[in-house]
Amino acid sequence: MNESTLFAAAFVLYALAAFLYLAYLFSKRVKPAATGFGAASLGLFVHTAALILRTVESRHAPFTNMYESLSFLSWATVMAYVIVERKYKVRPAGPYVMLIVIGLMALASSPLMPKDATPLVPALQSYWLWLHVSVTLLGEAFFAIAFVTSLMYLRAQASENKGRSSKSGLTAERLDSISYRAVAVGFPLFTLGGLVFGMVWAHKAWGAYWSWDPKEVWSLITWFVFALYLHTRIVMGWKGRRSAAIAIIGFLAALFTYFGVNYLLAGLHSYA
Amino acid sequence: MKALLRFFTSVRVAITLLIVLICVSILGTLIPQDRSPQEYLIRYGQISGLLQRLQFTRLYHSLWFILLLALFGLNIAVCTIERLPAKLRRAMRPRFETKSKNLLALKIRDRFACAFGLAEAKEATKRELKRRHYRLRMEEEEGRVALTARKRVLGLFGSDVVHVGLLIILAGGIISGLGGRRSNLTLLENQTLPVPEAGFSIRLDKFTTELYPDGNIKDWKSALSVIEDGRPVRQKTIEVNHPLSHRGFVFYQSGYGWDWKDPTLEIWVKKKSDSANLHKLLLRPGEAATLEGENLEVRAVRFLPDFVLGDENQPTTRSTEPNNPAAFIEGRQGEETIFSGWVFAKFPDFSRMHSAKGTDLSVELKNIEAPQYSVIQVAKDPGVEWIWIGCGLLMVGLFLAFYWPTREIRFILDPGHGKTEIAAGGISAKNRETFEAEFKEIIASLRKLK
Repeated sequence: MNESTLFAAAFVLYALAAFLYLAYLFSKRVKPAATGFGAASLGLFVHTAALILRTVESRHAPFTNMYESLSFLSWATVMAYVIVERKYKVRPAGPYVMLIVIGLMALASSPLMPKDATPLVPALQSYWLWLHVSVTLLGEAFFAIAFVTSLMYLRAQASENKGRSSKSGLTAERLDSISYRAVAVGFPLFTLGGLVFGMVWAHKAWGAYWSWDPKEVWSLITWFVFALYLHTRIVMGWKGRRSAAIAIIGFLAALFTYFGVNYLLAGLHSYA
Repeated sequence: MKALLRFFTSVRVAITLLIVLICVSILGTLIPQDRSPQEYLIRYGQISGLLQRLQFTRLYHSLWFILLLALFGLNIAVCTIERLPAKLRRAMRPRFETKSKNLLALKIRDRFACAFGLAEAKEATKRELKRRHYRLRMEEEEGRVALTARKRVLGLFGSDVVHVGLLIILAGGIISGLGGRRSNLTLLENQTLPVPEAGFSIRLDKFTTELYPDGNIKDWKSALSVIEDGRPVRQKTIEVNHPLSHRGFVFYQSGYGWDWKDPTLEIWVKKKSDSANLHKLLLRPGEAATLEGENLEVRAVRFLPDFVLGDENQPTTRSTEPNNPAAFIEGRQGEETIFSGWVFAKFPDFSRMHSAKGTDLSVELKNIEAPQYSVIQVAKDPGVEWIWIGCGLLMVGLFLAFYWPTREIRFILDPGHGKTEIAAGGISAKNRETFEAEFKEIIASLRKLK
């Protein structure tokens, strides 16, 4: 067993889960969704083994290049989804979340992503690598869940406005509340991992806790968007459509921070 | 004044500021920051002057951006202070409900009859709530008991703690900006340099570059000594991610390089026909040596660490990295130049040797030794402690705001004929489901009392 075999096995299991969830979406029968959840959980287990093996083989944290960090983000998203589904019974979100995961896994497996584990450059040799990246990506995984439930909210609300009940079986109100819960987990994690741990590490490695590097600025922008989400919601009582729109923008900003900045804007964070 | 205050305390201003900050920050990542005027001219043409005058090219350090941040801080401060007294009142003086009708209008509520008299019912309720870590306040009025039980009252202040944390971070940023000093010290081994404004010096004892087996850089290490009054008082080997901190100054491994002013070149001169006839020379640029028994003077004229042909085909160096070391070598017999040309350390077979006379000699640049220097960044940042305090408060505040919601249950105990009517209503701003579950458990165990 090597890491790439386990990664491929996890990918297959996630694809199976996505397929089963889609079958549930179109047939409305519960059984495939339950099996899909099983497949996703098993995939998560195998994926965990893949990440551990990668760590052992490369002797460093499994998120030092784009392939590794995409793989970890997929893992974190499945993890977040498994938690949210168990806790809040959001089965209808399954197909969409799994499609995002498939997208991330496909991107990770694309030939454009070098998969070799390379030795760490001096700046990355720090335990802050573990803390900064894992906590940030975990936070972003919860933003991904909020993104899905917010999109579902917009659909559910549109059908409820026409006097029909929501197609997914989750009411718009419930989806709105689940989105908030996901942000309530993601926001503190993102703040801690992305901003606080990021600043501590930057202070140690670069000698300045904040340098207005594009990645820093974009993580601040993401943070501002979710701060906007919370303030409009809690203080001004916005809910529903506008809240959902902000959560969607917030996830897109997080995605850009994670992905877009590396390819479109040059800066200190050139490793990944 | 009041109108101004009202303006600043409005959440609408906070929201607007957030949106403006988002847009402006995005703008700053789209325009490359801190480049040369020429680069802006090429990139933006006619509007480049305007962009620079508006400080869009060093946006995050511009006066108007800093003013925007200050306005944001002011808004946070005013909003927090304005809401604080009411919150404190709420935290110190719990409110009681005297009308069961109001309790039963709450979303989380229940009422039931307890078979005990008032005193016993009261004690049982108190016991149950205390078991669940609630704090109680009670009021008796017209024979009825109004009881308010609360826990996690600190949760009320979560957002305030977050805001104070942010203000401290902003203040830390200002302190860093005004009082922070940063400079680079370039040190050769055994060189001592005074640290600017510090009153002590620093000496580089040893600089080493560690490589991975595949040749990539693993680490740079500088063994440093802190020199106070001429005596070393502290020694530490710093590397990337492991700085040295002394009297508020922090020393970072920031770069390295070679001092090419005075390299030593190892040059091999041999006869093509007789490879055993090998002469190894150690020369510095400008130096010459005479080969024994050959009547030949070999001179190293010039050295370039990263040879490239520049404008008009003139040899120059592309960088200070030894990517393509090359030496210009001349060989003379008396007044006559036998050969002259560039030799390349990495391409021994390729030489641009011009020889006037057919010669049997080949020249190779075998090795280059140059003193390496280490670049140490010295930073003094009096704001940094404030930043960590602010970050700590920020996280504590977020935890309180999201995961420590205040729970409050108000009870009215109404004595009847040998029994007590109990009405209860629960209030919680967040996490209603888990609170409701606890509320139901409390009511269920009170109902069970016989």
